[in-house]
Amino acid sequence: MTKALESAVDSASAAVLARYDELAALLATMGDRPRCDPDLSAVATAALLHEARLLDAGRFEEWLGGWTDDAVLWVPLSAPAHPGRDQSLLLDDRRRLAERVEWRRDPAAWGQQPPSLTARVVGGVEAWPAPGGGLVARSSLLIEEHRHGRRQQLAGYQVHELVGDDLRRRTKILVVAALGTGVRNPSFLL
Amino acid sequence: MTASDFDHLVQPHRVHRRLYTDPQIFSTEMTRVFAASWCYVGHESEIPEAGDYRTTTLGLRPVLMTRGRDGAVNVLLNRCAHRGTVVAGEARGCAKRFVCPYHGWTYTPEGRLVAIPFPADHPAEDYAKLSLGRLEAASYRGFVFATLNAAPEPLEVWLGEAREALDTIIDRHPGGELAPMGSPQLLEFAGNWKLSWDNAADGLHATFAHHSYNTLGEMVDTETVLARDPGSTPMVSKALRNGHMVVDQRPGIPQGPWATMRNVPFREPLESRLAAAGDGDLLDLATGSMLNLSLFPNLIFVGNQLLVVEPVAVDRTRLQLWLTSAPGAPDEIDLLRLRVDEDFVNFGTPDDLDMFERVQRGLGVPEMEWIDMSRGLPDSAGDAEAGTVSGPITSEAPQRRYLAHYARLMNNPAATRAR
Repeated sequence: MTKALESAVDSASAAVLARYDELAALLATMGDRPRCDPDLSAVATAALLHEARLLDAGRFEEWLGGWTDDAVLWVPLSAPAHPGRDQSLLLDDRRRLAERVEWRRDPAAWGQQPPSLTARVVGGVEAWPAPGGGLVARSSLLIEEHRHGRRQQLAGYQVHELVGDDLRRRTKILVVAALGTGVRNPSFLL
Repeated sequence: MTASDFDHLVQPHRVHRRLYTDPQIFSTEMTRVFAASWCYVGHESEIPEAGDYRTTTLGLRPVLMTRGRDGAVNVLLNRCAHRGTVVAGEARGCAKRFVCPYHGWTYTPEGRLVAIPFPADHPAEDYAKLSLGRLEAASYRGFVFATLNAAPEPLEVWLGEAREALDTIIDRHPGGELAPMGSPQLLEFAGNWKLSWDNAADGLHATFAHHSYNTLGEMVDTETVLARDPGSTPMVSKALRNGHMVVDQRPGIPQGPWATMRNVPFREPLESRLAAAGDGDLLDLATGSMLNLSLFPNLIFVGNQLLVVEPVAVDRTRLQLWLTSAPGAPDEIDLLRLRVDEDFVNFGTPDDLDMFERVQRGLGVPEMEWIDMSRGLPDSAGDAEAGTVSGPITSEAPQRRYLAHYARLMNNPAATRAR
């Protein structure tokens, strides 16, 4: 292997770790942020409510279109956490997000066939300017899920990094307390 | 429940639905099966320092695993000798003393009572009689098991032929080191705990229940190991003594398990980094051993997970999913493991959870009493002396054998006691 190739390999691997560190830091520092920017919070609220509406309606393809190419959806088991050191429910890149949407359409994907009916309540949206442009938002989330005649209610919060004029999702972190205490089939979580 | 009840409920070719639906049977199992067997309670690496502890359950009993000041591992009943309060409320931690939050009784990590507040008011003269209850505990290569059986067979005898598979799983890790990472994922299902046990060595269900996982693999042109015809594969299932079970998928994947892995997130840079360092041959370590081992009644090795089966009620079970790391391997292996194990947990495990709940609902039909377990009969000969049976992975021999062991435990209750 040439030195140039070796260096490219090293930097690609370092980029993975850097992205993981970035995710862990974003989650860990969320509680230390100052009061939010009210105008930016109103902008973020519109984007988050739209996302919740798409997910509850099962419009997953449209939802998938709202992510950047370097997107990460991360669902840790608790917070704080690090995606390179702690087990997570999931950490999806754009490729696995696309597979997840395919999976949701597969009539033999028994974990979601019949699909969960969900109602998301997004509240307490706070947003701040993001260092690289765009915004970072934290919001409370309550999801009621109905499936096979039973219901479960999961509470937590979500962190979004939204970028560009159309506020595409580059990062989403979903923290759901029940993942660390006992949850029934969480495959509806997105 | 009479001694012969389980000869009727567990027959060579079928078992009765009551095993899965009867609250009285469930309650009896918590003592005759769980308290009387060796159960996995944790890994030594989780409690490296004196005073480190972690809590779990054993047949519904709150249990505390501690590292004593002498370095030894103790497994104790997490129940104050005074009023019965659960003493340690956290999942894990480090404590020089365990102080009961109710009335302040204080114990060492070895479970010895060392202080009662206002002792002059208390008639107890012999603190030794008021220790935390103790379980018989033993470790096998870092895996800690405990039992309340009054006269258990030695752990290594109980493991028997399963030791070979356990050694294989441990020894594939550099230096023989593996350790559970952090905290487990906790998944619950509305079904009896034995449904997860029936599933653990079920080589047929993958073709149907996990059909979507197999076709998800096709999307990216990867042949997942589950996508094969289960009837014409060299993979083997084995029923071992004491209800232990093995499914050996390795003969079906001569090219190694990494070749069957889908494109998990961030795979390529980490894979390239390993190859560049000359460690490409370690990539199989990022996947499971392809040797599924089930140690009856509560520990299943699948992928790189330790799956601990925790019964909650006759129709409710909690699965603890502990992802294991390979501390002696390059960092990229654990970084890959994190994403690799998410793959099946997200796209395969939900199928299993759904099947368990569907079966539990179906078993609620009183007019249909029996569950057929006859596939593969008559059992082909294994090692008669060792009490093992081998067969194709479609055989239900492992289920028959573990249930026969279960029936023996239920018919012939062993005495249980706290030390």
